[in-house]
Amino acid sequence: MMEAVTVQSLTYQYRPGGPFVLKGIDFQVPQGEFVVMTGLSGCGKSTLCFCLSGAIHHNRDGVMAGEITVNGKNIREMRPAGRALEVGMVFQNPDTQLFSQTVEDEIAFAPENLCLPPERIRERVESVIALLGIAALREASPYQLSGGEKHLVALAAVLALDPPVLILDEVLSQLDSAGKKKVAAVLRKLHGIGKTIIAVEHNLESVAFADRLMVMENGSLIRFDRTETILADRDFMDAGRLLYDHKIFNGVS
Amino acid sequence: MKLDPRTKMVMAICLSSLALLYDTPDRLLLLLAATVALLLLFRFNPGAVWGYLKPFLSLMLFLFVIQSIFSPGGAVLLAAGPVPLVTSQGLSTGASVVLRIMVVTASAMLFTTFSSRDFILGLVQWKVPYELAFMVAIAIRFLPVFRDEMINVVTAVQLRGVELKKVPWGKKTAMYRRLFFPIVFGAMLKAQQLAVAMEARGFRAYPRRTYLRRLDLRRADYMSMLLFLSATLTLMGADVMVK
Amino acid sequence: MTFLELSRVVFSYPRKMKPALTGIDLSLDKDGVTAIVGPNGSGKTTLTKLLIGVLRPTEGEVRLEGRPVEEYSLAEIGRRIGYVFQNPDLQLFCSTVAEEVGFGLANRGCEPAYVQEKVAFYLDYFELTAYRDVFPLYLSQGEKQRLAIAAVLANEPEFLILDEPTIGLDACRKKNLEDYLKKVARLGSGMILVSHDEPFVDKMAERVVTLANGRIQSDSGRKVNAAYEA
Repeated sequence: MMEAVTVQSLTYQYRPGGPFVLKGIDFQVPQGEFVVMTGLSGCGKSTLCFCLSGAIHHNRDGVMAGEITVNGKNIREMRPAGRALEVGMVFQNPDTQLFSQTVEDEIAFAPENLCLPPERIRERVESVIALLGIAALREASPYQLSGGEKHLVALAAVLALDPPVLILDEVLSQLDSAGKKKVAAVLRKLHGIGKTIIAVEHNLESVAFADRLMVMENGSLIRFDRTETILADRDFMDAGRLLYDHKIFNGVS
Repeated sequence: MKLDPRTKMVMAICLSSLALLYDTPDRLLLLLAATVALLLLFRFNPGAVWGYLKPFLSLMLFLFVIQSIFSPGGAVLLAAGPVPLVTSQGLSTGASVVLRIMVVTASAMLFTTFSSRDFILGLVQWKVPYELAFMVAIAIRFLPVFRDEMINVVTAVQLRGVELKKVPWGKKTAMYRRLFFPIVFGAMLKAQQLAVAMEARGFRAYPRRTYLRRLDLRRADYMSMLLFLSATLTLMGADVMVK
Repeated sequence: MTFLELSRVVFSYPRKMKPALTGIDLSLDKDGVTAIVGPNGSGKTTLTKLLIGVLRPTEGEVRLEGRPVEEYSLAEIGRRIGYVFQNPDLQLFCSTVAEEVGFGLANRGCEPAYVQEKVAFYLDYFELTAYRDVFPLYLSQGEKQRLAIAAVLANEPEFLILDEPTIGLDACRKKNLEDYLKKVARLGSGMILVSHDEPFVDKMAERVVTLANGRIQSDSGRKVNAAYEA
C-alpha cells in the first residue's frame, strides 16, 4: 500500500539557533489509516501538524529540516495553496479560521477555490451540512456561534475541501458529548471511505477506535503502535501521565 | 427595495463625488437629506450613522472652528479688536466641511446594506481580481470584529480589578499605552493565522475561482444607475458652468 | 447565604429572533462547586456573562449579594469574582507571561516583592516558569489556557467562574487543575464550572445545573461530593 504521509528526520526551530521544538521525527502513515496523536501540551503536536499541512512556511523565521512527503509529493515543492489539494487541516483555534458572513458561505469557500461548477459546490455544501447535522446554523454568522459550534463549522469547511489526508488539531475537545459522538462517527465514516486521518486528541476515550496511536513527548515521537497495544500498556500510560480517568479503560486491559 | 450591490456602490460613489465638489452648506445639506432618504429606502437605521459619527464629533467640531477662523471673507461677525475672528464666509466653510464628512460617511453606510459575499460577487463580476475583492471585503468585515476584540480586552482588564473609568487621565493613558503593543501585535498574529487558514482551504490554488451564487443586474438596477450617473454628471456640469 | 441570583431572566442577542435564555431562576451560594452543563449553544456562556454584568438581561434581574449587578462597576465585580473566558486569546493582554499573572495584584497596589512571590508560585504550579518572559500569544493553546487560569487565580477572588477550563489541557494538567480548584473550594471559595467534560464535572461538582435550549432543564441541588469529604 502507498504511504499517505512520510516524515524523515524532521526537526523544527521557531528561530535559527533556538531550541528544537521537534527533535528528529520519523514515521509513515499508509493511505487510509486513522492515527491519533497525543502527548502533554507543549510537546510539539501542533507544530508537527503545522509542518504536515505545510502551513509552517508562513513562519519565515522558523527552520525546518528533514523531509515530508504527502501522497508521494514533497511538501516543500508544492505551491502553498496547492498543498490544500492534498492535505486539509482543521486548526485548534476556531476564531482564526472562520471569516465568512454565514456558515453556508464558510463551507462553500473551499469548493469555490477548487473552481467547481456551482451545482457541484451546492452538492458539497449540502452533503457536509447533512453529515455534521448543522442545517440549523446555515444562515448564522460563524463569529456569533458558541465555541463548540464554531469547531463544527471549521471542520465542515475543511471537509468541503474533500482532501485525501485530513489533519485535525483537537477538534473534539470543545464539543459536547453528543457532538463528540457525532464527529467521532463522521471520522469513522471518512476512515471507512479511505481517507487518511491524523487527529490530535487528549481525551483518548473518544477516539479509542483509531488504528494507531502516536505518543509525543518533548519534541520527540516516543511511541507509535496499535491503539489497543498502547492502551493496554498501563505502565507506559501512567509514566506518560496520559490518562485523566483510569476507570474508562478498565475494559481495555 | 432590493437592488444589486453594484448599483448601491455606484450610488455611494455619485453621492460622495458630489459632496467633494460642492462647497456651500445649503447644497450639501440637500445632499445629506437625499443620502439619508436613500438609506431609509434601504431600511437602514439612520441612527446607526449617528453611532458611527459620534466618536468623530470632537474632531468635526475642531475642524469647524479651525475652518471658521482661517477662512476670511464676507461680513465680520466677531472680532478681537482689529483682527476679524469669525466671518460669514468662515462659518459657511466650516459648516461645509462638517456636512461633507457627514455625507461621505452616510453614503459609505450604503455598503453595509449588503453582505460581504454580495460585495465580493459584485466586484468579481465586474472583473476585479478576486484576491483584491476578498482583501477589501475581509478588511471591512473585520473592522467590527476588531472593535469587539478591543472591547473584550478592555472588559478583561476591568475584570482583573482595574477601575478604568475612575482612574485619572495620566494613569489611564499610561495603561492604554501599555496595552497598545500587545493588542496590535495580537491582531497582526491573528491576521496572519487567518491568511494561513484561508490558504489551507485552497485560496489562490488557481488563478480563477467559481462561486456558489451569482448576481444579476435587473432593470431596476440599470435604471437607478443611469438615473444616478446622469443626475450627478448634470449637476457637476452645472456647477462648473456657474463657476 | 445567596451570593449570586438570577430571577426571571430573559436574554436575547441583538438581531436574533429566539432568546438565548428564557425564564432563568437560579441562586448560588458563596461556597460550593456548581457545574453548568448542556449541549453546545444551549446558553451556558451567556448565563455566566450575565452573572458578571458583561451582558445585561433583556428582562428580569441579576443580583450580587442582593444588589443589582448593574450597580457595580466591572472592576468591582472583577475583584470579587474571577472569570476565566472560554477563549484564552481574548483575555491575555500583557507583554510577558509573568506580567500577565501579576497584572491584577500589581494594579491593586500590592508590594512588588509580594507580587513577585505570588507570580513565582502560580507560574510554578501551572508549569509556566520556563515561559515567564515570552509573549503570551506565542504559547501553545494548552499553555495559554493554563496562563489565563493562573492570571485569574493569582488575584485570589472570593468566587470563580470558569468557562470550559479543561479545553486544551492534557490529562495530567487537568488533574493538576482539579487538585488546585478543590483546594480553593475547601478553603471556602465558591465556583461555577461551565463544562461538558463529564469526568471532570463528576469529580468536581457538588451541584449540577443542566441547560437545554436556553432553559434550565434540571438542577440537582447541592449534594455531597465524596471529593470534598475529610
